[in-house]
Amino acid sequence: MEVDTVDAPLTRVSQPNNGQLTLKKPRTEFKSKSEIQKARRQREAQKAYGRGRGIDVKGVRDKKLRRNLTTLENRYKEATYKAKEAEILLENTAGFIEPETELERTYKVRQDDIQKNVAIEVAQKGFELKLKELGPYVCEYSRNGRDLILAGRKGHLATMDWREGKLGCELQLGETVRDARFLHNNQFFAVAQKKYVYIYDAQGVELHCLKKHVEVSHMEFLPYHFLLATLGINGSLKYQDTSTGQIVSEISTKLGTPVSLAQNPYNAILHVGQQNGTVALWSPNSSEPLVKLLAHRGPVRSVAVDREGRYMVSAGQDSKMCIWDIRNFKEAVSSYFTRTPASSLAISDTGLTAVGWNTHTTVWRGLFDKNKPVQEKVQSPYMTWGGEGHKVERVRWCPFEDVLGVGHTEGFSSLIVPGAGEPNYDALEVNPFETKKQRQEGEVKALLNKLKPEMIALDPNFIGALNLRSEKQRQADKDLDAPAMDVVEELKHRARGKNTALKKYLRKQKKKNIIDEKRLKVEEMIKEMQEKKDEKLKDRQAELGPSLARFARKD
Amino acid sequence: MPGRQSHGRPLLPQRGGAGGGKKGKSQSQNNNNNNQKSFPKSRSKSHSTALNAFALAAEELGPERRQKGVRYRDLEEQPEKPASSKKRAHDEDDEDDFDEDDDEEEEEAPQRKKAKKDEFEGFSDGAASDDSEQWHVGVGSGDEDSELDSDEAFGESDEERFEGYSFGGSKGKAKKKNKGGNSDEEEEEDSDLESLGSDAIDLATALDQYSSSEEEEGEEESGSEEEEEDEESTDGDDESSEDDGEDEEKMSGLKKMISAFGGEDDEEEEENQGSGKAKLSLADLGLGGVKDEHIKKSIKLMNKEEKGDKKQKLDVPLAKPLQDRNLRSAAYAKTNETLDRWIDTVKSNRRADHLIFPLAQNAQDKGLDSGELMPVNQKTSGTELENAILSIMEESGLGPSASKEKKNEGGLIDEEGKLSKAEQKEITRQRRRERELHSREMARQKRIKKIKSKAYRRIHRKELLKDEQAAHDALVEAGEIDSEAEREEQDRRRAEERMGTRHRESKWAKLGKKAGRAVWDEDFRAGLTDMARRKEELRRRVEGRRGSDDDSDVSMGSDDEDDKRKLLSELDRAAAYSDEDEPKSGLMSMKFMQRGEEIRRKENDELVAQIRRELGSDAEESGEEMDIGRRQYGMGKPAVKLPADSPKAKKKAAKSSEPVVFKDDVDMSEAPSRKQAAVVEFEPVESAPSAAGAWSRVPQEGRKSKKAASKAPVQELDLSNAAVLATKSSKPKTKTQTAEVDNDGNDTDDSDAIHLPMAIRDQELIKRAFAGEDVVGEFRREKAEVQEEDDDKEIDNTLPGWGSWVGDGVSAREQRRHKGRFVTKVEGIKKTSRKDYKLKDAIISERRVKKNDAYLATQLPHPFESQQQYERSLRLPVGPEWQTKETFQSATKPRVIVKQGLIAPMSKPMV
Repeated sequence: MEVDTVDAPLTRVSQPNNGQLTLKKPRTEFKSKSEIQKARRQREAQKAYGRGRGIDVKGVRDKKLRRNLTTLENRYKEATYKAKEAEILLENTAGFIEPETELERTYKVRQDDIQKNVAIEVAQKGFELKLKELGPYVCEYSRNGRDLILAGRKGHLATMDWREGKLGCELQLGETVRDARFLHNNQFFAVAQKKYVYIYDAQGVELHCLKKHVEVSHMEFLPYHFLLATLGINGSLKYQDTSTGQIVSEISTKLGTPVSLAQNPYNAILHVGQQNGTVALWSPNSSEPLVKLLAHRGPVRSVAVDREGRYMVSAGQDSKMCIWDIRNFKEAVSSYFTRTPASSLAISDTGLTAVGWNTHTTVWRGLFDKNKPVQEKVQSPYMTWGGEGHKVERVRWCPFEDVLGVGHTEGFSSLIVPGAGEPNYDALEVNPFETKKQRQEGEVKALLNKLKPEMIALDPNFIGALNLRSEKQRQADKDLDAPAMDVVEELKHRARGKNTALKKYLRKQKKKNIIDEKRLKVEEMIKEMQEKKDEKLKDRQAELGPSLARFARKD
Repeated sequence: MPGRQSHGRPLLPQRGGAGGGKKGKSQSQNNNNNNQKSFPKSRSKSHSTALNAFALAAEELGPERRQKGVRYRDLEEQPEKPASSKKRAHDEDDEDDFDEDDDEEEEEAPQRKKAKKDEFEGFSDGAASDDSEQWHVGVGSGDEDSELDSDEAFGESDEERFEGYSFGGSKGKAKKKNKGGNSDEEEEEDSDLESLGSDAIDLATALDQYSSSEEEEGEEESGSEEEEEDEESTDGDDESSEDDGEDEEKMSGLKKMISAFGGEDDEEEEENQGSGKAKLSLADLGLGGVKDEHIKKSIKLMNKEEKGDKKQKLDVPLAKPLQDRNLRSAAYAKTNETLDRWIDTVKSNRRADHLIFPLAQNAQDKGLDSGELMPVNQKTSGTELENAILSIMEESGLGPSASKEKKNEGGLIDEEGKLSKAEQKEITRQRRRERELHSREMARQKRIKKIKSKAYRRIHRKELLKDEQAAHDALVEAGEIDSEAEREEQDRRRAEERMGTRHRESKWAKLGKKAGRAVWDEDFRAGLTDMARRKEELRRRVEGRRGSDDDSDVSMGSDDEDDKRKLLSELDRAAAYSDEDEPKSGLMSMKFMQRGEEIRRKENDELVAQIRRELGSDAEESGEEMDIGRRQYGMGKPAVKLPADSPKAKKKAAKSSEPVVFKDDVDMSEAPSRKQAAVVEFEPVESAPSAAGAWSRVPQEGRKSKKAASKAPVQELDLSNAAVLATKSSKPKTKTQTAEVDNDGNDTDDSDAIHLPMAIRDQELIKRAFAGEDVVGEFRREKAEVQEEDDDKEIDNTLPGWGSWVGDGVSAREQRRHKGRFVTKVEGIKKTSRKDYKLKDAIISERRVKKNDAYLATQLPHPFESQQQYERSLRLPVGPEWQTKETFQSATKPRVIVKQGLIAPMSKPMV
């Protein structure tokens, strides 16, 4: 512990002190220190893991229900408390660059300075790939941050284990590549090419050509739903299930050529930035956008959503960057200006926002903070990079690493941004150090836990909630005029052989010895069939002649 | 039957109820009938007259009988057996009611009959006459019997209730019959009952009487038995069988009596008649001086009977249904009692989170002690082997006694260990109390002492220093020492001394750092601050020495002053320290406590005063130093004024000089310092009153938005405004450009940084760039459209030409009249109830997402009372991803866990 940290009180010595203390909350009852501390911890746990207010147990009239709910509440309390206590296991903390004095600025720290002052293995994570010829590069990391995909506009495609510097595959597709993205793991990736979307495996073998996705400009993959969402130039939004191969929904947005696309990792809603300055929120379940936000005065060039799904950052052609609280669709703070319209946005796990604009990349810290009641405007950025003449195409944060990948016209740059990555990973969720076996098992588990596309909604916790539409309304929805299904038809359509269903039915009915309309119908039906059969047989027999008639096929 | 009925379950009478109760009733009815037939008016007479009436009736029984007719007479000719067989028949009838009593009872019934007769044989006429008398009392009116009686239980209300019910021989019925007057018919109806004859009455009552008398006798012996019976009252059958066993002794006698009884009918009647007049005493019979033991016994018994009879009059057995009801209620209560024992167990099991089978109760190793094995000593050693080993150990000095001795040497601790828990608790409580008593004033005293010691040391050290300095000066003057080096060294020494143990590199600090004590230890933190303060002091001191020797004195002085002031304030606090704000225990309100407290307070106050004096003297001593500057040392509030105005003034100054900053829109890469520079440049532009029109408007708007921070962050595009801007923006533009140039000249190292004027200019540019596209207006229009679409709608279903004329020549008025005839209203979502009603920049779709409905609950699940309860109860997800392993496992643990083994039912209540 540095003594310097406790020097602060010194400055307050000169304050007038006549022994009076103002208490904000006077404590009236006596509590032991441990009790107070426990209460405080409980409060913190409730805030972090409680998921909102509990049930008002006192208002419950039914005794049994009251008791049950009380036990439930206690269990929840216990669970939240335990979860909070378990935070002790998260041993790593994100460390940011902190200015020592008022005059110091973190954005003046250059990559060289950082690389000089960090451990070699960390320094190696900052690198630069010079790929000058094949146009601006888009970059994407796999979910666990191990693999990197680089796609040059002019058809150059490469995947690599970027930490080890091992190339996975490298292809020259020979046509325009607009976007590339890993699917659920590093084994497959989808590439939006000139006309269709193709899926390749880790070796670069073309597996599928998705011909239904035409002229796709943006892609997103929803990992929990196994949905590949593509956004065509003509404004059609398509969801394809990559585990079954079915197209889940095709929506034409009718909003013109989209400019940007981002997914909300919290609820799997897609945010599409439009030409007219609106951001439309789409789910595969509705044919019209769930929400339309007027975010900018010009085209929305880029959109990013933080991982908790609370804030959306958008950048528009009007050289503004807006921060939205997307739980209530209000602007959280007044907008920031970008010098030139930003081309790409990305939000890291710790809430750092990277903005790629022109040839620069700026990283902002604390644009939004969920713990603050009112968001404050940040005066200066956290870090900057660039100005060396290559135009930034895309910025992406590497998961679990303090690394920002910047794809630009001259290739790809990996920047070290201290404090960007989530320091504690959950290996059961996404494991950056997974082995082959773990990857395989994770894949199976993810498939077993796959969510249905119908579960996508603005509030993902809606499942199990009460349907507030009245019974009457629901009845009205049902078509009561529809004719009742015919028994025989029904049985007929249960095609198990030609007439076995009917016969089986009759066999069972005979045992019961109930003669009703249904059975009569069936009997008649069978009789008819028998007659037909007999006729056919006769025909056949006639065909064969009297001597050979007995050899006729009987069925 | 007091003994039995008192505990709510007349056992024998029940049997009687089953077998003889009805009989008795029927007989009574018979009797009544007889009475009433002969003396119809007797009903209205009083109780006493009723008795007389009975006597009269008894006299006239003979003629009455003769009227009865043939059938009756036939019966009388074979008096015994038909009667008993009839009773049997009754019994069998009753079996419907008593499904529990079966064969046994059938056997019992005849036995009892015999017993009745037996009794009649054994008892004197007086008893019999009493009997009959009592009978009437019981039926006709309430008796004086104080004991709880089944008859009493049959209250008036019950009588009303049972009026319609045919008891076979109930009083009510008898009354009715009398009212009807047609006795013959009724006789036919109840022929089987009446045919029993008057003898049967006596039998039934006799049975009751007999059993009761016997009961009385046996009461003393069977007192304990009864208690047992109380406990085991559930199994009534067993008991009755026991009673039978008792009866068996008299069985042979009974049988004789039965045979004799038949022939003696008339005699008995005569005897009854006789007894009605006067009682025969033993003395009258000359039995007063009998010496035979057996006879004595019986005499004694009879005497008792006589005495007892006066008090305890036998009552009519209750009606069968009533008896049954009583029986049932008693049985019910008893059963409830036994079942109630399980209630707690059942409840706790129902509420239990987990149930584990086989039950621990029935576990095989139940009753085995799973605790630790205790050391073997002389007392506990059971087997020979243990004894032998113990003795060997003892010899070798390893035995328990040896260790004990050693322990005893330990002394007090052991003894304390022996103290019982309660005692220990008591001790701790006492200690706590003592501590509490002491703590208040003690704490204050401690505080004062601390201050005192500080002050004391300070004062004395100063004196010491002064002396030293004087000596040193003298030496220097004498030119005996090299002043500078010496001084330096001295200074260092002093500084080191000051630092004391609370040094950064000290063991204390290192240990604390290692243990992270600052996080939880208040004292350590205080120490740290102290250390930091000292460090600062030291630094200042050293610097002061370095800088100028002249200053050092002043600074020293001020330092001392500071310290003194601090001390004083501390003293003040200590003086003001009172226990008013602390919670008072009941102890403190006691008088002696308060006295003690008062004394201590006085002492403390004195101490404070003393320290003050010392400090004051010190201040006076250093008066010359104090004169410099304006300092006030008020007792209560030192140095309040000084700091009070200075920050204000500063603030004012700051305010006045504060530049107007555009905080609204911050450029992405700008540096604040630069911004300020830029702003300063802009000030004249802003303040210029002449700059009217568009340019002046822009900054104003900026200012506004600064005030209303997030309310209107983005200025709306205004086409007209833009046009104005286009014309007038040339002037400011040049200015901004110059500003930019200036800035660039100033700083060269940050090429990426841009400046506020640039941002403003951009804003203007953007406004102009997007002037053609009315994005906002379009959005508003779209929103209005959506609102309209979702809103309530009225649809005109009127068909033109339906009920009216259409086409040319129809007047406009006519057309209008038919226009809104059939209107249906389609309910939608009103504007005000939309989710985006208050959101300017959002359109939230109000359409239902049908696909999501599949995952909604269609109705509120059963136990929940409200939607909130239900939905909130689902709020925490269950899964290893969201919970700790522990909570997850406990949440998913099955409620019923069945382990291998035999699952036996619970043998006894668990709770």
